[in-house]
Amino acid sequence: MITPAASPRPNGDIAIEAQEVTKVFGAVRALDRVSLSVRRGTVLALLGHNGAGKTTLVGVLTAAVPPTSGRAYVAGFDVARKPREIRRRIGLTGQFASVDGQLSGRDNLILIARLLGAGRKAAAARADDLLELFALTDVAARRARTYSGGLRRRLDLAAGLVGHPEVVFLDEPTTGLDPSSRLALWEIVENLVAEGTTVLLTTQYLDEADRLADSIAVLSSGALIAGGTAAELKARVGRRTVVVTLDGAHTAAVAAEALRRASMEPVAGPDTGVIVVPIDASKDIAAVVRALDHAGVEAEELSFREPSLDDVYLTLAGHRPHPARLVQGADA
Amino acid sequence: MTATTPTPPASPAAPASSTSPAWKGSSPLLQIRVLTARSMRSLATDPGVILFGLLQPVVILFVLTQVFSKMGPPPHFPAGVSYLDYVLPAVLVDNAIQAAVQSGVGLVDDLKNGIVARLRSLPIAPSSLLVARSMTNLARSTVQAVVIMVLAIGVLGYSPRGGPAEVAASVGLTLFMSWALGWAFIAAGAWLRRAEPMQNLALVAVLPLMFVSSAYVPVADLPAWLAAVAQVNPLTHAIDATRALALDIPGAGAVLPAMVISGVVAIVSAALAAVGFRRPM
Ligand SMILES: Nc1ncnc2c1ncn2[C@@H]1O[C@H](COP(=O)(O)OP(=O)(O)OP(=O)(O)O)[C@@H](O)[C@H]1O
Ligand SMILES: [Mg+2]
Repeated sequence: MITPAASPRPNGDIAIEAQEVTKVFGAVRALDRVSLSVRRGTVLALLGHNGAGKTTLVGVLTAAVPPTSGRAYVAGFDVARKPREIRRRIGLTGQFASVDGQLSGRDNLILIARLLGAGRKAAAARADDLLELFALTDVAARRARTYSGGLRRRLDLAAGLVGHPEVVFLDEPTTGLDPSSRLALWEIVENLVAEGTTVLLTTQYLDEADRLADSIAVLSSGALIAGGTAAELKARVGRRTVVVTLDGAHTAAVAAEALRRASMEPVAGPDTGVIVVPIDASKDIAAVVRALDHAGVEAEELSFREPSLDDVYLTLAGHRPHPARLVQGADA
Repeated sequence: MTATTPTPPASPAAPASSTSPAWKGSSPLLQIRVLTARSMRSLATDPGVILFGLLQPVVILFVLTQVFSKMGPPPHFPAGVSYLDYVLPAVLVDNAIQAAVQSGVGLVDDLKNGIVARLRSLPIAPSSLLVARSMTNLARSTVQAVVIMVLAIGVLGYSPRGGPAEVAASVGLTLFMSWALGWAFIAAGAWLRRAEPMQNLALVAVLPLMFVSSAYVPVADLPAWLAAVAQVNPLTHAIDATRALALDIPGAGAVLPAMVISGVVAIVSAALAAVGFRRPM
């Protein structure tokens, strides 16, 4: 769904609004006329490869990076004019840890609460609540510099929530988290949103955006190339697939025939004995299994594949942004 | 590129009541207090920092007093003053300079630590951190000065010619100059954002500057060309002022200029530091 964002000042229902935001660093156009708006109490996922401009956009919206041109409003305040009002209402967890390694986890959170105006008792209580929420109670007394990467990340996430912010910015919040911490964070985000908090998060993972976001914006080389709900985006990006591995070309042919009879559209996979079946919803996996079962075919392996960020880029931009490949390779 | 507005599915907007900040925010004074307590904590939990800062002044104090008690005082020495009396104010100034350098180094540590990135996202005055750094190092140089005094009295038998009030005034002036110079290094840290240049300066420049001043021998006893340099060395004037106070000897006229110059250095440096610190990372 594409509509021009033109209103000079967002109404009370809009928590985040960017209007034609451009940011140029020397020769790099990090953001190129980005416009988006996020309604109060919803989640926007900003999707993009390395160097797409996600962190820069978060910087602009948190009044940390002055835009070269364009305007942005957060919680009804202009980022260029009222940075302090914005900082009173936002929580930020940046891409890189911003906690004090010299202090314990608990003291980090207390420090922030005190700076936000909490009394000693209230600050300690808030710190303890957050330590528990992020499963950090056991390490609360240790200096943060002794934390593992994932622990530090969780402390950093907790630090962003100390002031009960109205708008929360999370820059790649689940990078470096183990699967259970990742799931726990997703639940925390869902609870925040249920309480009316607005969340903007950046991610490289389509499934994360799909799970959490009410709307998704895709950045590529500084420009928004698509936006909409997860469902709208996925409808455009292509479908999920089930990959069936069988014990040979002959079985594969039988299986393909059975699937076709069940009105599916199997395609021969990259290897002999592999077929790929596009499906619409995850429950259609059952239909695949039933069709195979019906034909008396036993699959050696059955796997389910979500469309990835690469699929998004291939479909929407017609190419992968070249620097991304390079940087990702270096990352791995 | 088309402007794009991702639109969320229809869902009731959050009630407006959930939108006022939880706490009212903190005054700059409270911010300074909280942040000073934060950086003081690493002093308390890490006494090595203070020990390391004491190393150079204390070694010099002990070595020079031993050497000169064997050699006897140089010809232009003030009458009736022991070498220990003479050199202690200079040792305290050396200590003050080391502490001042650490103000800047501490700020650079903060910038690297990640805490600054966090503070920038909070609704606080960024310069609170600078003031906190300055306060912390004032506290640190005070503790170190007290340790030096205790060592001098307890181990070397220091009994100042001027009374306790004079010594206190001398130490007070030394700390004031340390505080002012600390701001200069905080400004340097805010602009350079690297600790090495400051540490190198402290290592390479301070000791020679101390020797080419009235710190360890009277300027009149230095070879002519060194005496010429010592005359324009600000350390000479700083040390002459604190020494005049501590020993209750003539020369207290240098006190007022020392205070005025320190005040100007502090104000100018603090302004520069605030500007430098505001630049994005
Ligand atoms: N301070 C800066 N100076 C110069 N160029 C910058 C600066 N910050 C960002 N850039 C450039 O702007 C572009 C966007 O960077 P940004 O950090 O916003 O990307 P990102 O989407 O967050 O990437 P990643 O997934 O790697 O975090 C990149 O080409 C980057 O090199
Ligand atoms: Mg980034």
